Amino acid sequence: MLIDTVIFLPLATAIVLLAIPRTAHNALKGVALAGAVATFALSLAFINLGTSVAADQNVPWIQTLWTAAYHVRVDGVRLFFILLTTLVAAVSIWGAFSYDQPERLRGYLCLLLAFETTLLGVFTAADLLLFYIYWDLMLIPVFLLLTGFSGTAEARRAAWSYLIYNGAGGLVLLLGIVALVAHTHTFEPAATLSLPARTAWWIFAAFALAFAIKTPLFPFHAWMPPTYTFAPAPVVALVSGVQSKAGLFGLLAFALPLFPQAAHAWAPVLLILATAGILYGALAAIGEQDVKTLVGFSSLSHLGLVWLALFAFDMTSVPAGILMIVSHGLIAAALFLLLGFIEERTGTRDLARFGGLAWQAPRLAVFLLIAAMAALGLPGLSGFAGEFLILIGSWQTQPVFTALALVAIVLASVYMLKLFQGTMHGPQRLGQAAPSVRDLRPRELALVAPLLAGIVFLGVWPAWLNDRTPSQVTAAAAVTRVGGVPDSPHAAHTASAARKAAAGLQMQTARRADGMVAEAGS
Amino acid sequence: MTAFAGVTISWPALAPILVLTGAGLLIMLVDLVSRATLRGLLYGIGILGAVGAGLTMLPLYGHSVTTLAGAFASDRFSWLFDLVLLGSLAVTLLLSSLRRAEDGGSPGAYAALLVFAAIGGMVMAGAANLMIIFLGLEQLSLALYVLAGMGYPRAASQEAALKYVLLGSLASAFLIFGSALLYGSSGGLSLDAVHAAASVPSGLFVTGLALFVVGIGFKLALAPFHSWVPDVYEGSPLAVTAFMAVAVKAASLAVLARVTYVVFGHDTSALAPLWLLAIISMLVGNVGAIRQRNLKRLLGYSSIAQVGYMVVGLAGVGPQGLSALAFYLVAYALTTLGAFAVMALLADGGEEYADLGAYPGLAARRPWPAAAMALFFFSLAGIPATAGFYGKLLLLAEGLAAGPWGLALDVTLVVGTVVSLYVYGKIVWDMYSFTEPEAVVPTGNALPSWVAVAAGALGTLVLGLAPQLFAMSQPFLSVGPR
Repeated sequence: MLIDTVIFLPLATAIVLLAIPRTAHNALKGVALAGAVATFALSLAFINLGTSVAADQNVPWIQTLWTAAYHVRVDGVRLFFILLTTLVAAVSIWGAFSYDQPERLRGYLCLLLAFETTLLGVFTAADLLLFYIYWDLMLIPVFLLLTGFSGTAEARRAAWSYLIYNGAGGLVLLLGIVALVAHTHTFEPAATLSLPARTAWWIFAAFALAFAIKTPLFPFHAWMPPTYTFAPAPVVALVSGVQSKAGLFGLLAFALPLFPQAAHAWAPVLLILATAGILYGALAAIGEQDVKTLVGFSSLSHLGLVWLALFAFDMTSVPAGILMIVSHGLIAAALFLLLGFIEERTGTRDLARFGGLAWQAPRLAVFLLIAAMAALGLPGLSGFAGEFLILIGSWQTQPVFTALALVAIVLASVYMLKLFQGTMHGPQRLGQAAPSVRDLRPRELALVAPLLAGIVFLGVWPAWLNDRTPSQVTAAAAVTRVGGVPDSPHAAHTASAARKAAAGLQMQTARRADGMVAEAGS
Repeated sequence: MTAFAGVTISWPALAPILVLTGAGLLIMLVDLVSRATLRGLLYGIGILGAVGAGLTMLPLYGHSVTTLAGAFASDRFSWLFDLVLLGSLAVTLLLSSLRRAEDGGSPGAYAALLVFAAIGGMVMAGAANLMIIFLGLEQLSLALYVLAGMGYPRAASQEAALKYVLLGSLASAFLIFGSALLYGSSGGLSLDAVHAAASVPSGLFVTGLALFVVGIGFKLALAPFHSWVPDVYEGSPLAVTAFMAVAVKAASLAVLARVTYVVFGHDTSALAPLWLLAIISMLVGNVGAIRQRNLKRLLGYSSIAQVGYMVVGLAGVGPQGLSALAFYLVAYALTTLGAFAVMALLADGGEEYADLGAYPGLAARRPWPAAAMALFFFSLAGIPATAGFYGKLLLLAEGLAAGPWGLALDVTLVVGTVVSLYVYGKIVWDMYSFTEPEAVVPTGNALPSWVAVAAGALGTLVLGLAPQLFAMSQPFLSVGPR
């Protein structure tokens, strides 16, 4: 099966690597990259397999007190998570070639590949047990990469906060899943649930807490700054670019469809946290001197926007959230990899010590400029498309929170320009210690290029993605909406809106996307 | 079936115990002939005895027989515990065979005592009568008191033996006194008779039960009756500690579960003190493990917490809970024995590899033992794809089905597990964080230890990935006919 091949090819590649002597660096690199690129190439085949459900495989697995299945699926939502994973993973593994402890390169590449398999497992799992298993397994490669392969004491400390935070989140999720299964006796997510409202409220809270820690959502982000700052660039590219989307995926694939009423009940709290995170992340990024921490806080801000999109329960904002997820994945991966290159060359991440790099490394400057512009939401790049559609959508239902979030869009320009100008423009402050900074090597150029191409592509043609997601996601959103809590203030007007939307929804989304593109082009 | 002095005896039900007894006696005979030269043979007989006893168990699977006038039951429940006991016996003998310095210069006595201790455990697992429970417990304990001191050139081993004897006999005193009161209140020694008295509990009955639970709590090392664990675990010979951590817990859990199940049926309201003990154990065990610098002490604290988890399986007092408990016990046995096997492998008969100061950088020099150790710790912490994860899943489900106390147990289980992530993660962190080991690189590479490590690792992974192999579709565990 294609789907199993895609999931397990990285792991199989890692096992093959173990058979290669650890000193044969070129062979190790070649095999690892070949495996990752082949995974990406195979995952591209899902695009043409159909839009609603591209692949589905369901094998009974455990049939005891409860049933669980090895159930994996690729559909309109999962497709983009998978493509993002395989692309960013391939790029990160290529980026890992310049690892500074060559004698440990084999273990490093193996763990990155194993990490890719766990991520693909999370994004394909259609069974809650399978989902949880991959969810918790993600901890191990990242923990080991942080402790054993980053080489600094700070990264080893960061491994702790990563493990304890995410491990605790995982256990809360497990408690939620077990509570659900205690009612349904199956790990297969049911289409309709007859849970007592109170139970559903608690279970949704458990799911949401775990997902909030993983994203992270303010104020559960304490593990994020040290992890993003001290982990090696390829690891951060995967953690920030891909793993941070696992929580959002869990919301889209499981929590929202399973517990629509509870989601509505919790929405006010989550919207407040999301908006607080959007603003806090932006302000923290402005005050930050460490370039990687700065980008980390900008992620907090941007992913808060996705939570806003999902819990605005709007027909436009929910699919736009997916666009934003993919866009942020590409941008974060590109930024962290580029900052990693800069750190390799200069040995510092401190904005106060940079300056004038554009003079010596013009290609690096151009690439960083593109990624930074995408992050601050320049029209024509993917960041703008995602933010714009989210704000259009969420304005319909949550004008107050949307207005607050708009402030952060302005702040994004401040911190991204600060990042770019601080490193590339102005006087050269590196001093004699680093007399000349090399420009991007061909390998580095080639590995970041696909990410930037994706950013531009989604920037000019967001409908390519939006047209493929709606049927699934908007259906979920419609269920969420129509099934709103009867006594919630939204229920009355959302119900009628939902009826209207059910008809002209997909077209509306497409129109908005096209309108946006036209605007961007002018 | 034969009748003996008016009592019918089902020989197949007793066969495992008899085979093992034969092996124990044979070891003593061979030991008479030659003490030192036939060392390998002595341990080999013990291992073969365990395997032979296991083979005689095969036809018993799925049958429920009560024999010896209802005093001894052979059912699915005792079957599984016997399997765990025999497995831990075989692994312990395997690990002991390399550790010359720790058998007190008398391998025959050492091996025979281990075999007789396992027999005591198997008697406990099937005991349906207060007297038989006590007999089994004493056989297990007396053998272990001696074994704990067998590493006597080390002062710590003598200290461990002394502490174990003093506190162990105190526990036995509680247990026998409790049994006497239960007998006095119910008029019978069989658990059925005690069950009959439970419907209208008298003061005598409640006191007796409380003393009984305290006695078992000591043996199980439930907090707050756990104070002996760290010192005894640290001082005893390495393989004996492994046996204590698995076999003693398994046998005592079997008694606790059977008493709970038979005496209380589905009415768990009287068991609140037991749930409280479990909650305290989960917290004390995990928090206490944080500051340990000796791996044997750490695993001792960890075992306190793990027993607390397993008690959650009793919360609903039903077949599903017993299945959950049994699954977790098997997972715990595999991982704990595996972790001790890695220690034995690294030590290779020499100085114990228990000081955690020796673990930093292990992964760089000995990648496979380090990976196995990491796997066992991940399983103890309940990370998916390991047996420990599925065990925790089953226990959590059992707790959620068991009312407010069950919920409290579940929440404590989760909190305890988060703490344990730090405890176990710290060792993995140490092993993988440093490229330059601070201590001497261990060279141990003996085959028997590798066999034990591989068996533990394989079992942990197989049970984690294919838990359905552990037949749970039927009412998998049932305590024999009442």
